[in-house]
Amino acid sequence: MNQKELNIFLIDDNDIDIVVNTKLLKLANLTSRIRSFSNGTDALNYISSNVEELNQYQNVILLDIQMPVYNGFEIFDKFMELSVEIRQQCKVFMLSSSIDRNDIKKAEENEEIIKVLEKPLDVYLLKRLVSV
Amino acid sequence: MSNDKITILYLDDEEHNLTSFKAAYRRDYQIFTTTSANEAVQILSENTIHVVISDQKMPNLSGVEFFELIIPDFPDPVRMLLTGYADIEAVIDAINKGQVFRYVAKPWNETDLKITIDNAYELYNNRVRLREQNEEIKKAYNELEKFVYSASHDLRAPLVSILGVLKLARMENIEGNSGEYFGMIERTVNQLDGFVQNIISYYQNLKKGEILTSIKCASLIDEIFEHFKFYEGADNVQFIKNVSQEGEIMLDEMRLKMILNNLISNSVKYRDQSKDESLVQITVNASEKELVLSVKDNGLGITREDQIKVFEMFYRSSEQSLGSGIGLFIVKEAVEKMGGKISVTSEIGEGACFEVVLPNRI
Repeated sequence: MNQKELNIFLIDDNDIDIVVNTKLLKLANLTSRIRSFSNGTDALNYISSNVEELNQYQNVILLDIQMPVYNGFEIFDKFMELSVEIRQQCKVFMLSSSIDRNDIKKAEENEEIIKVLEKPLDVYLLKRLVSV
Repeated sequence: MSNDKITILYLDDEEHNLTSFKAAYRRDYQIFTTTSANEAVQILSENTIHVVISDQKMPNLSGVEFFELIIPDFPDPVRMLLTGYADIEAVIDAINKGQVFRYVAKPWNETDLKITIDNAYELYNNRVRLREQNEEIKKAYNELEKFVYSASHDLRAPLVSILGVLKLARMENIEGNSGEYFGMIERTVNQLDGFVQNIISYYQNLKKGEILTSIKCASLIDEIFEHFKFYEGADNVQFIKNVSQEGEIMLDEMRLKMILNNLISNSVKYRDQSKDESLVQITVNASEKELVLSVKDNGLGITREDQIKVFEMFYRSSEQSLGSGIGLFIVKEAVEKMGGKISVTSEIGEGACFEVVLPNRI
């Protein structure tokens, strides 16, 4: 199977974590296609108006849980309102610096969320999870 | 000031009893009287009533039946039953079904009944106060939970950012002195992070609920060993696993991991660096009845005196102690929440062995 190149959407209100995770992903040679957003609304707007871009890549959304205004789970609910066409093209991971039991449970109960990943990001774990 | 008076509702089918009750106590209490149970309910819903007195023998509804009727909607007023003669059946019913405070014989003695009413009012006050206090505790508990959730995130998030930058620095190959400094920063941040995580686990453990899952002991230990690969000092330690599991084991996995992580990290922290080889040996024997696990090391060991104290909160055995003194306290709390037991045996210079017995919750 010819795997499409990874296209990563990084959604996090913490700018240092954005820099760190972007660089970690690049250093691990996962992909150079990384778009970052400081809030979920902007990210979803971008995603829903660039469906053609989604078609060309294997898309991964890394969504921080603790964010102001809309937290990661609320953004995820909004993502679920997008069309099936968009949703099927994206694998969603949640990011968290506090591995909270309730957060993990919430994510596990939802089939569309692949996993909650602990920060700082274990890029090799992510690599294994997306290559399945 | 009629507002401060004790309010009494008195239900009796005999009008003259109501009249003489009113005549006797009008000055001491605010009194509502009625011959109808329906009206009595009406009065209860429109007024704050402290004490409800009812006659037992009434044509439509007995006193006990009336009490049974009002308990669900008006649990607070203290109930007293009046009766001309006491048969044992009625007394039993009054206590069990009517949940009455006192059983008063007719005709009543004015002074005695007054004392009884005053006692009933005291009980009413205590009940209400207790309920208010319970509500306050509940509220404080909820707030604490919210506080811990946000504090744990707000404390950890910046630490995690620092660790992320350090990880990046390492991947970009920092050389020479700065590499060493980064290592020092990382060690210190990890120490602080460990403490924050312990505090979080302590509060998570405080919560009552248990989430029981089926435990695969061998792979759980493997997972924990994997996690310890990156732990400071762990490269000098040989981890040994001895697992036997028969049948299914149901336990709270989070608490089990909390226990193992803390015990193993202690064994690594307090290894004896003068020995050629440091060992940490985990033995698990899981049966239908219980899970017995022990964490044994050949480290510095714990003195007799300290063996009693190690489970106390913030107890640190030595000045060189690396920990914050909360780890074993959390372990003990978690073990107790799971209905288990923990014990320690140790000789100075030989090592320590912690044994935990947890009942299988299958």
